[in-house]
Amino acid sequence: MSDGHTEHATKTDITRRAALVGLGVAAAGYVAFGPTPRDKVPSGRIVLDYWEKWTGSEGLAMRRLVDRFNQSQTDIFVRYLTIGSIDQKAMIAIAGGSPPDIVGLWSFNIPAFAEAGALLPLDELARSKGLSPDRYARAVWPMMTHRDQLWSMVSTCGTVALYINDDKLSEAGITDSPAPTTLEELDELSEALTVRRSSGDIESVGFIHTDPGWWSWLWGYHFGGNLLDIDTNSATANSEANVRAYEWVQSYPSRMGSRDLLKFQSGLGYYGTAQAPFLTGKVAMQIQGPWMANLIEAFDPDLNYRAIPMPTTRAQLDQESPVGLIDGDLMVIPAGAKNPEASFEFIAWMQQRTQIEELAQAHGKISPLRETTAEFLATHPNRSISTHAAIADSPRAFGFPKTRVWPRYVSEFDAAFQRIWLQETDPASALTLVNERAQFALDEAADRRHRRGR
Amino acid sequence: MSRDRIQREPLRQRLAGLVWVSPWLLGLLFFFAIPMGMSMYYSMTEYTMLEPPLWIGAENYTSLLSDPVFIKTIWNTLVYAGFVIPLSIVLALAIAGLLDTDSRVSHIVRLMVFAPTVVPLVASAMIWLWLFNGDNGLINSALSIFGINGPNWLHERGFAMAALIVMSLWSIGQPVVIYLAALQDVPKHLYEAGSLDGMGPIRKFVHVAMPSIAPAVFFNSIIQTITAWQIFAAPYIMTEGGPDRSTYFYSHYLYDNAFLYQRMGYASAMAWVQLVLISVCILGIYAITRKLWSTRS
Amino acid sequence: MTDGSKRWQISGRVSRLMLLSLIGMTFAMPLIWMAATSVKPESQAMQQGFSLLPDPPGLAVDGLKDNYAAVLNDTTVNFPLYLRNTIIVVFLGITGCVVSSVIVAYGLARVPMPGRKSLMVITVGTMLIPFPVLMAPLFMLYTKIGWIGTFAPLYAQFFFGNAFSIFLMTQFFRSMPKELEEAARVDGCGHWLTFRHIVLPLSKTAIAVVVLLHFTYMWNDFLAPLIFIVDRDKFTLMLGLQLYQSKAGQTPWNLLMAASLLTLLPVLVVFVIANKAFTRSSLSGAVKG
Repeated sequence: MSDGHTEHATKTDITRRAALVGLGVAAAGYVAFGPTPRDKVPSGRIVLDYWEKWTGSEGLAMRRLVDRFNQSQTDIFVRYLTIGSIDQKAMIAIAGGSPPDIVGLWSFNIPAFAEAGALLPLDELARSKGLSPDRYARAVWPMMTHRDQLWSMVSTCGTVALYINDDKLSEAGITDSPAPTTLEELDELSEALTVRRSSGDIESVGFIHTDPGWWSWLWGYHFGGNLLDIDTNSATANSEANVRAYEWVQSYPSRMGSRDLLKFQSGLGYYGTAQAPFLTGKVAMQIQGPWMANLIEAFDPDLNYRAIPMPTTRAQLDQESPVGLIDGDLMVIPAGAKNPEASFEFIAWMQQRTQIEELAQAHGKISPLRETTAEFLATHPNRSISTHAAIADSPRAFGFPKTRVWPRYVSEFDAAFQRIWLQETDPASALTLVNERAQFALDEAADRRHRRGR
Repeated sequence: MSRDRIQREPLRQRLAGLVWVSPWLLGLLFFFAIPMGMSMYYSMTEYTMLEPPLWIGAENYTSLLSDPVFIKTIWNTLVYAGFVIPLSIVLALAIAGLLDTDSRVSHIVRLMVFAPTVVPLVASAMIWLWLFNGDNGLINSALSIFGINGPNWLHERGFAMAALIVMSLWSIGQPVVIYLAALQDVPKHLYEAGSLDGMGPIRKFVHVAMPSIAPAVFFNSIIQTITAWQIFAAPYIMTEGGPDRSTYFYSHYLYDNAFLYQRMGYASAMAWVQLVLISVCILGIYAITRKLWSTRS
Repeated sequence: MTDGSKRWQISGRVSRLMLLSLIGMTFAMPLIWMAATSVKPESQAMQQGFSLLPDPPGLAVDGLKDNYAAVLNDTTVNFPLYLRNTIIVVFLGITGCVVSSVIVAYGLARVPMPGRKSLMVITVGTMLIPFPVLMAPLFMLYTKIGWIGTFAPLYAQFFFGNAFSIFLMTQFFRSMPKELEEAARVDGCGHWLTFRHIVLPLSKTAIAVVVLLHFTYMWNDFLAPLIFIVDRDKFTLMLGLQLYQSKAGQTPWNLLMAASLLTLLPVLVVFVIANKAFTRSSLSGAVKG
């Protein structure tokens, strides 16, 4: 055995060595002659680094606009960079003293960045370009400000509405029924649309609060509640309206059975794939933003859908001013960035109707401007875009609560929501706990702010 | 000259090693000592990263003690580690024992066992989400063959933790490789003696091989302890810490504090506490293994 | 040998083979699904259930062509460039790590010096330090010395040694028989010459192990590039992969799986080549406490 084996071993040793050398040569050749960075920056221009979060088709749409801006310019060149976890990266870069020129943040980032003095106030620059609140839809300007100062300018935004899969309705024999406007009507419709298999397992549901589960905290707003009293810096998570809202939320698992519902939920596909529950009909109604149209277009263009404002309690019902969340992507200039004027040149250019509508359409979002062209609405990929636009103009549209401790607040809320959904607790005590923890964070932040002498 | 040299040699000789380790001394200073000093300072401040640090003394450490989430993540991490470390040791040892031959099959299986350790986490998390799908995932479908109605793995308290433990056992390629190496060192004649004594393969493995690879077991359990305390990416993608924080781990909370809540000072304090906790765990493991093996050899 | 024990041995071998296949399949199953997903059209990518082949199966051929071509030619995710970056970083990191760790380890193992024991303890101790402790301060330091915007934060520190590799190599050197080195010393060789001519040639396999472990570590490292690499043209493969995944947007899972498989391949090739080194007896000395 030993002789044959050694011979075999040396042979494989040689081929192994050859393979290693080959691999090394290939790698070296690749490094020497391989691809090099594609972006070439023209000389003699001010180069602005613009960090944005979008990839794929959304990123391409922004890149097209940036290219067009660059062609129109002789002094400024914007370099579009896609960055993952953009708020964290921006934070590190600002802390390290080498921030980019423009960053596309999420709207909930603004209070934290602004209060820390990490952003350049834009009031003066905006005034010089004639950008005033009345240009924008009613709920958009407040989103860009914090504590009466302007910190950001919108690039895209969207509001959240209730999406209804009309194919599921006709399947269930419900035709020509008026859209639900109150929660009672929603409950009724949802019940009628829920289908169980012969085994008793849930096959599909009308409506659930957990798909998509991105905004566990917003249900109270449809009962007239809110989460923060800015003036007194106090959390209002366990207000009477909120408690009633989450009692309503809990009525769903208690009616359908927590375990059945869990089993159903864990079989749901993921958003952004062809298996997204709204597309497969597993969930006939859900709250979503206008970007939903792009998902439908990509995977099931024949689907019949419409979006209506999320129903409210009967007491809150007012069809003239729908209730809904508004969220947006906001461009900011970090404090300490080297070329604020040039950066704002680009930001202001993006605020022009042509650019902002083109981007909005590509992303399947609403126009943030007050005046929307008929053409924008007519050619928009989302057939219900006017529903979303109406919410953005409503006095009862709401954004993320404006506090720098919001991320802590919402993580408490998410945990409480899961306990409520699993029926492990009653909403009142869960929300009281959230309120305590949130108030603790709010007080701590206020105390530290005070100690910093502000 | 030569006499001079003899006189100087002892000192030069005694210090000769310092030249050899000088790069590492510099590295320790620059990449460890200085950053750790800075982080110690941060842990005594409120540091949002966006503003200059604000000195608050020991406040971060005292508020840790009354932070229920902090306590919860320690508990979760200990539960996770308590399952993963022994399970991975037993499983990796068993697999290494089976693979300890020079056959073609063994080499192919080695590759299969090693491959998962190098699958990028984004991809492997998706793979496991698919496997654990409660309604019609592969695992529940397999269970239903035996008439078992599988749980909703990632959505139920307890099962979500179990799912993460199972997933972590999928990537035990590194310890297997190290055990395989250690097994090469077991003298062949001991095996033969075992055979003559009429031992079966399992008894041979336990009585002959185990004592020689005990140091490797210790080594791996230390590495496993460290990685268990640092588990982050898999739950971050798969359960986001839920349901109700039942899979919310220490490193995840630390990361959230540092970057999501902008409490870098608090996170630094957590990191220092983590260092202490890991050291305690390792001392515990050291005590256990020494007791176990000192009775043997 | 009696008939009975022979039969026992054969059945033992068969059951061992079956057990091995079972283990292999269990570990390979998720990978097979990954490969299967990588050749599906996007509309079927995350379909539930068992279907390994797209429907109709003929689509797999198109998928193989289209998806992999899409990964390699993507305009926003410049995969070939990230591969090049990764090779550069990994090569520099390994070179630095091996050269310095081997020298430092030999010094620790064999050359007299004061405080050797405490240095060893500190070295092992650094492995226990959670990366987040160092993250923010290192970023500040790297910014000060102008390393942000370069590859240096990813490899430079390994030129000063790497605790895990130093530890492994030290244990290996200690397990070597002292006689060889003593003979060389009697012949008048200093530490350096002994190391260079006697010890190094005997350490090839141990070094191979260090190279491999460090290679896998650096190839898969995600957190350090995530924190320190800002410029998209300097992304590594792991960062590039993340670009495929956007939390609320559409993730092309088929492309993500194809890209993951492509990044996985080089590591598997290296593992196959080095399988022997992993299992030769050299490492066993290294892990003895």
